[in-house]
Amino acid sequence: MKADIAVVGSGLAALVATRTLQQAGRNALLIWPGLSSLYFTYATVDVLGYSDLTTTQPVDQPEAGVAQLIEDHPEHPYALAGLDALRSGTALLTEWLRDAGFTWQGSLARNLLLPTAIGTPKPSCLVPASMAAGDLRRTEPIVFCGFHGYEDFVPELAAANLSRSWGGDDQSVRAIRVSLPGFEPGRLFTSIDIARSFEDAAFRREVAGRIRREPAVDGVRIGMPAVLGLTHDMEVYSSFAAEVGHPVFEIPTLPPSVLGLRLFDRLRKHIQESGVEMVWAAPAHAAELSDGQCRRILLKSAGREQPIDARAYVLALEDTVDGALRAGVHTVVDPFFHQALAHHAVPTDRTDESLFKPQPFASVGYRVSNRLQPIGDDGRPLAGNVFVAGGAIAGYDPVGSKSRGGLAIATGYRAAREAMAA
Amino acid sequence: MITDEIGTLSDTVEEAAPVEACTKCTACNTVCPVARSTDIFRGPKFLGPESERYRSQAEAAVTAGLDLCSGCKLCEVTCPSQVTIQEYIRRAQNKGAEERGRTLRDWVLGHTRLLSRFGSMTAPLANFGNRNPLVRLVMEKVIGIHRKRPLPRYQWLTFERWFKRNRSLPLVGRAREGVSRRTVAYFYGCWVNYNERRLGEMVVHILERNGIDVIVPKQQCCGIPAVVNSNIDLARKYGAENVRRLSGLPANVDIIASSTSCGLMLKHDYSHLLEIPGAEPVGARTYDICEYLWMLYEAGELDIAFQPVETRLLYHAPCHLKSHGMGYPATRLLRLIPGVHLDEVDEGCCGISGTFGVKVEKYDLSMKIGSRLFEAVKAAGTDSVLADCETCRLQVEHGTGAKSAHPVEIVARAYGYR
Repeated sequence: MKADIAVVGSGLAALVATRTLQQAGRNALLIWPGLSSLYFTYATVDVLGYSDLTTTQPVDQPEAGVAQLIEDHPEHPYALAGLDALRSGTALLTEWLRDAGFTWQGSLARNLLLPTAIGTPKPSCLVPASMAAGDLRRTEPIVFCGFHGYEDFVPELAAANLSRSWGGDDQSVRAIRVSLPGFEPGRLFTSIDIARSFEDAAFRREVAGRIRREPAVDGVRIGMPAVLGLTHDMEVYSSFAAEVGHPVFEIPTLPPSVLGLRLFDRLRKHIQESGVEMVWAAPAHAAELSDGQCRRILLKSAGREQPIDARAYVLALEDTVDGALRAGVHTVVDPFFHQALAHHAVPTDRTDESLFKPQPFASVGYRVSNRLQPIGDDGRPLAGNVFVAGGAIAGYDPVGSKSRGGLAIATGYRAAREAMAA
Repeated sequence: MITDEIGTLSDTVEEAAPVEACTKCTACNTVCPVARSTDIFRGPKFLGPESERYRSQAEAAVTAGLDLCSGCKLCEVTCPSQVTIQEYIRRAQNKGAEERGRTLRDWVLGHTRLLSRFGSMTAPLANFGNRNPLVRLVMEKVIGIHRKRPLPRYQWLTFERWFKRNRSLPLVGRAREGVSRRTVAYFYGCWVNYNERRLGEMVVHILERNGIDVIVPKQQCCGIPAVVNSNIDLARKYGAENVRRLSGLPANVDIIASSTSCGLMLKHDYSHLLEIPGAEPVGARTYDICEYLWMLYEAGELDIAFQPVETRLLYHAPCHLKSHGMGYPATRLLRLIPGVHLDEVDEGCCGISGTFGVKVEKYDLSMKIGSRLFEAVKAAGTDSVLADCETCRLQVEHGTGAKSAHPVEIVARAYGYR
């Protein structure tokens, strides 16, 4: 199959790259190797939460923080993509979210500080409006509301943790649990099941009533696991919050992320219905190179390999999440150029024993040129018309520094612009 | 995936992922159209890889809930680790059916071809019966086929016989020495043969218009109705018969299917789920009709002297089409035709999944799964809804009252075919 520019990937970097191409009037083909990382990791777009992995002091102004980071670390992917790419890409995404019917809040100027499901404060830049009332810079007391039988969100844990780092007296953070009609404890159910039920108005009204009947002081805000509707953005949230009678905010839960699912489903649908073709279920697993250019990539399609011949390629792969990179005992290998991206004496060198410490595997990826082309050991581009975006770029830990979203935007945007010029 | 040596990495990429490759990420459950529509279904993750770890050949099959899997394969399309979720579910279902014995309905729906042949031979009577409320009530009580589900109309003149009558040699296309550059074998499937002969006529017309010789080898049901109705052995028997016949074709003959799911069986399931020897080379030369026409276009071999077709169309991509991993060739093709205004609707599964939505206890669920699509189709108000899969078309017509067509119908019209 021939294409103008092929984008491989399914996460935010791939979507931003594809949207950039579409807005520029170019013909993008989006190749989807499998599920999107948005289902796991995205509820918010984090641009820069912590300036490095050692500090616990969150970044207040992400744009200024990134500018400083670029100055201090000229090899950092943010420096390679450039501050302009972050600004333009963020503007493009913000506008796209609006066009696709989302109501989001935030800007590059200032981070919000939002409680996580375990009650830790997390800096985020762009967030769904349904999360915004959780901002810890506001002072209203918080009541975490969980559901009996749903253990992916434990309100008591969140309250205990948050009251250590935030709030003044004992009353400022509390936990309650209500039971959900039809969800008997002991039965197996997930956030997806609950989210689907919340789309039903009668169910919503009943749950809102149960929360209202819980003794609560005036002026509290209610933090709930993000289950307020499976596919809707604000409709379910708004009507539910009105019935509860207090400000309500959603908190991202363990995977699968309902917030990520809402985001990905609707952006994918929007871009597809506006004319971008998607190739589903076809992992790309080889590239054919000649004269320093990538001539084609091969997809694993039903029955046979499907070649994609494009003028340029954006590899918006997502490291460990989408299975793009393959780990052997000693080596991590990329699927296109069969380059060894990392060597480890033993596989355990890739991980730190503490789950909450920076993980070496997180920064494994392609080394890239200042135009985001993958480079070999000699520092020269492996192919002049291939550009890497997103988590598969080496040299940063997107999770630890809370910068996954911003880097996806900046590198997705920049890679698309480079692909257009190639 | 962990391997010992870097040198074996490329091999591991080719293999089907073992059950251990499932990282329990739950992505499959989030996209499963059944799990999204009911809370009585525990989802592909639990019924596929998670249960698989506890299944052994020696023990009795645990099949509770397995019948709610509609077989759309969106779980496999979504799985980032390429776990063959569907195959685990199908095998367990099959084992359960072997142990407890198959129901009358399993047998009836698994033998679609036999049934269709009978329906076609007795077409006026069968069509009358399928629309008669009393007959349908009896069918519901005795076999378990929901009385509200419209059943496809049978045609007395089959595609096979039409082809025999209208082409010079029996079951072999018009040989046009020195003219044709390509020869294709048409796998028309039961649907075209017994229910929608016109679609087959159009496929033949379009291919011949492009100077391609069409031959129609003798063929059996592709086997998918048997696969989804707990009879893998029967499907394997059908598949092996098709593989034997299609393997005998000269090496330069490509195989074309106009049914999404028949094509997927030939391309993929024969060599994977059914493990039919010799199936891989057959799959490697099987093409969906639109995929093939687009390939001709890219090679500069497609006649693009299209007449304008002034129409507003809505394209719905069938779930099994996504499993082909070839994009949406129909949309590319139709956008070459002047006058065609084509929009896409991305509302996921239509809900029917072949014989799933026909069953008495699944009908309501099937309509609920499709409800998002139905609403979108009604809101769009187009001339026709296009889908490559015949049961998607039946479901959209039933759920919306809109007209539907296979994409090649528009191509045929653009070629002046009436």
